[in-house]
Amino acid sequence: MKNTPQVKIFNSETGEEIIRDANAEELEQMKIDIANAKAEKAEAQAKETAKAAILDRIGLTADELKTILG
Amino acid sequence: MATTTNYGWTTPDDTALVKDGAAAIRTLGSSVDTTTKALNPSTTLGDIEYRSSTANTNTRLGIGTTGQVLTVASGVPSWATAAAGGGLTLLSTTALSGSSTTVSSISSSYKNLRVVILSARNSQGSNFSIRLNGDTGNNYGRQLFVMQSGTQSNEVATGAASINIGTIDSSTNFYDMANVFLDFPNYTNALDKVIRVSTVSKGGATIYSKTGIAVYDTSSAISSIEFFPGDGGTFSAGNILIYGEN
Repeated sequence: MKNTPQVKIFNSETGEEIIRDANAEELEQMKIDIANAKAEKAEAQAKETAKAAILDRIGLTADELKTILG
Repeated sequence: MATTTNYGWTTPDDTALVKDGAAAIRTLGSSVDTTTKALNPSTTLGDIEYRSSTANTNTRLGIGTTGQVLTVASGVPSWATAAAGGGLTLLSTTALSGSSTTVSSISSSYKNLRVVILSARNSQGSNFSIRLNGDTGNNYGRQLFVMQSGTQSNEVATGAASINIGTIDSSTNFYDMANVFLDFPNYTNALDKVIRVSTVSKGGATIYSKTGIAVYDTSSAISSIEFFPGDGGTFSAGNILIYGEN
């Protein structure tokens, strides 16, 4: 069973298409990209949590805020 | 000797002898013939004439070829090939596949690039990202307005290593189909690049959209675009169409 991620490179000038296993550098970049995506989601979630805390403090629900903001 | 007012053709004087009438008529006729030919030098169907720098003498302009238009060059009319009109030229079509799909060797012969991605899907839920010219440096930013079923939010990122342009998922999941429209105005200039992003992902009656602007700090022309699911997974569907625009 082959589990190595594959990459596709399409040359728009010649129409040549290469599909091959990702090399070590590309695999490492994929790990970095996944880590970056997780960090970004965590940051967005933290902002949402902070926003919810503020709404709770002033006694509004998210739906009520949505109504106010139109 | 009397002459005509406009072209100066020689005519007999009132006192000229009648016996010289035939010669006078020949002289006048010859002058009229010469002038007429000078004013009408056309020889071929479709020829036109225009005034030359010599008085009473026109210049022949032969008919152009099919598709040519009349223009002015160096102060005189001429035929020229019509300038190419604006419009889109499809440069490439390729299917999304694998963990990353790159379109390389993108022509630099156009003013703008337009990228359309239709019905992209991934093996798992993920952000949908792009990277340009194989540059993995922190040279990207984005400022996007996100709308999901009437709820709005903003995404702002600077110094990122890629551009998150949307959301993709498998066909059985919620955001099951991403359609992306990217515009790269003036993509070959030596200044930083701006990308207009419009993405819509849908599942059932729910629409998730992202619109806004991304930037890429580079002085190089954009010659390759990599598309990848930033959270991992493998593309399971979707086509990338790249157009050049003039």
